[in-house]
Amino acid sequence: MYGGGNTFEALKGTALADEDPVKLAEFEARINRGEKIEPTDWMPQLYRKQLIRMIEQHAHSEIIGALPEGTWITRAPGFKRKLALMAKVQDEVGHAQLLYSAAETLGKSREQMIDDLITGKSKYSNIFNYPAFTWADSCFISWLVDAGAIVNQIANSKGSYGPYCRALERICAEESFHLKYGHHCVIHMATGTKKQREMMQDAITRWWPPMMHFFGPSDKISVHSEILMRWKVKMASNDACRQQFLDMYVPKIWELGLTIPDENLKKNTETGEWEFSEPDWAEFKRVINGDGPCNAERLAVRRTAEERGRWVRKALLAPKTKYVTPLA
Amino acid sequence: MAMKSLDPRVNRLGIPEEKSELQPKGMLDQFETYEAFLQVKEGKALEHVGPVHAPNEEMAFLFAKEQYSRRGMFCNALCVVKTENIFATDFTDDGQDVYNTITASPSGEETESFEVFHLMKRGKQHKYAGDVMASSYEDAFVTAKDHHQDAKPVFNVWICKTDHVLSSDEDDRDIWDTLKEKQYRDAIDYRAQDKIKAFKEEKSA
Amino acid sequence: MNTEALKDLLYKIADDQLILGHRNSEWTGFGPLLEEDIAFSSMAQDKVGQSWQLYKILNELGESDPDTVAFMRNAEQFHNCHFVELPNGEYDFSLIRHFLFDTAEYLRFSMLADSSYEPLALLSKKIKGEIKYHKMHADIWIKQLGAATDDSISRLQESLDLAMPYALGIFEASRFDEELKADGIFEGESALMAQWKEQITKIIDQTELQLPDLDALTPQTGGRYGEHTEHLQPLLDEMSEVFKIDPTADW
Repeated sequence: MYGGGNTFEALKGTALADEDPVKLAEFEARINRGEKIEPTDWMPQLYRKQLIRMIEQHAHSEIIGALPEGTWITRAPGFKRKLALMAKVQDEVGHAQLLYSAAETLGKSREQMIDDLITGKSKYSNIFNYPAFTWADSCFISWLVDAGAIVNQIANSKGSYGPYCRALERICAEESFHLKYGHHCVIHMATGTKKQREMMQDAITRWWPPMMHFFGPSDKISVHSEILMRWKVKMASNDACRQQFLDMYVPKIWELGLTIPDENLKKNTETGEWEFSEPDWAEFKRVINGDGPCNAERLAVRRTAEERGRWVRKALLAPKTKYVTPLA
Repeated sequence: MAMKSLDPRVNRLGIPEEKSELQPKGMLDQFETYEAFLQVKEGKALEHVGPVHAPNEEMAFLFAKEQYSRRGMFCNALCVVKTENIFATDFTDDGQDVYNTITASPSGEETESFEVFHLMKRGKQHKYAGDVMASSYEDAFVTAKDHHQDAKPVFNVWICKTDHVLSSDEDDRDIWDTLKEKQYRDAIDYRAQDKIKAFKEEKSA
Repeated sequence: MNTEALKDLLYKIADDQLILGHRNSEWTGFGPLLEEDIAFSSMAQDKVGQSWQLYKILNELGESDPDTVAFMRNAEQFHNCHFVELPNGEYDFSLIRHFLFDTAEYLRFSMLADSSYEPLALLSKKIKGEIKYHKMHADIWIKQLGAATDDSISRLQESLDLAMPYALGIFEASRFDEELKADGIFEGESALMAQWKEQITKIIDQTELQLPDLDALTPQTGGRYGEHTEHLQPLLDEMSEVFKIDPTADW
């Protein structure tokens, strides 16, 4: 799963004027022909840096995203739910592995990325800074957070960078089980006993605001973002992803008799667009900058895992080991 | 004071409340990488599935098995090759076959066996093409042209020494022959339309 | 066929798998490296899945359905050995337990694959394939960390010394060993233990680790007949926390 809402500010040392115009033209022609870019191809610095940032954040979101759902691994009710949740959380860790590998082909080592995550230098999806209080919260995440992630990932899988597309193809195939499993859980809660319904409704109420933040604020249209769209780094606007999500899932939530805590939420029949109360972007910024309910815990857990695992890695690391970037 | 979490597993980790200082990991932890190749069933070509980080090839095999063929994924064989031991050509594009960029001729010295993998479309995975006898990686590439080039263009070639490949044992194929009750990993196992229907009927009644 | 004896056998195997599967699942997301995190989680799933299938056989023999059996009993009704209920500790302990326990399991299911009780024999043949990987995984890890650095060797040695009395508890004598043997269902715990000693010695001998003198140790027994450490009940409470909100609900 993944929290989208990519922001694409200009990065240092990526001015297009500094690039070789002939190589740049070849690079753009390849993308225009619909061919993928592969790791050892020439590419502009801007392309490389934005991709590293984007894929790295995606990978961090997977590994951190394993934590709120992992909260319920030992407590999932019954064999089927237990096995499915274990398998799902395991998949998220597997997705992180795939994505880190894709980012590595661009020249940043995995350990450097993990270092940047646990020292707070790089970001991950904001939604995972919220706590999963009850089993119903984990059901919400499995269904709707994953659904949001899939909207993003399907768009990105049509991007131009080969290794990222390959990783996303595998990820999307696995996510189809996550989504169905999540929906199955929510259906059982919503159509179940009074207690189950209450639990599910509370979870929807708690998670809706962060869900609306999930896709990020409206994009600023700039020359910069137009270039990234042309290069198929950015595949869809944050607003388009949010609209697509609402279109696909609001009716499915409503049909279960659940209430979404936004009285302004409705589809405008003339424009075909969903209207909703403006999400609290100040809260979004506050949480993304570290002041959310679980930021400290998420990073502390990752840090602890790294520290406790260090002796294992140290013991196995042969002194002569030479690291080379994975090939694809 | 230990950190209090909603996750009982985290509580058992006993993480101190105050932020511990993290020493930079640097290159210390960076294991070498191995590329994993999978054969989904007998008769199909081995296909590249992705890399794993591992301290040595035995561990790489253990890790690749679960990362790339866990639960219910069909698999007939798996092998791993250290990334460093794979020779990769440049990429070509726009219908140009990478074999047609070759100007040298084969040495004819058949001193060692090499395995050859082809990329048939940018963005897809490398597939096993076959083996060749040659004297070096470069020579293997040149020699592979005679043996493995056909009408379809190849955009990138990987070559490794046969000796550098760690493959699953024939005898160990049963590690993929597991309990059938793994449907919990399949989307198809989660049908619940009847519940929604019953719920709607009950509500409208 | 002595059904009581058969149930006794099935319960202890199933309970072992269920409890250790849960313990091992606690590592998901916290493992020492990403790839190992994934591998360890697979093995945890295998164990829980195997226990489910064993409870299904029990169900056919007249016991309650698997969810009820697994999540509604109290500690004194559980037949698992103490070894599997101990908390995870650090990775060295989890690995040593994985090695000692899964070696025994691999041998146990190899024996059961020839059991005269057909449903168990069929299931065991499948389970063997899964546990073969578990054993492969355990052997490689122990061989490598057991011969790597002073730190890893001493960590593993300490865990091995701590684990061994509990590991011997896996083979706590059954009240029905003779009947099971006579009926051709299972060759018995002492036969299993003899094979196990040979197997673990073979691996330990390839490392810098020292196998404690097993004859000098007092096995930690009692688990097979309902006596447990203080660690089991809290784990059971946790496992069934949601299920018990409403056991009649469809979750």
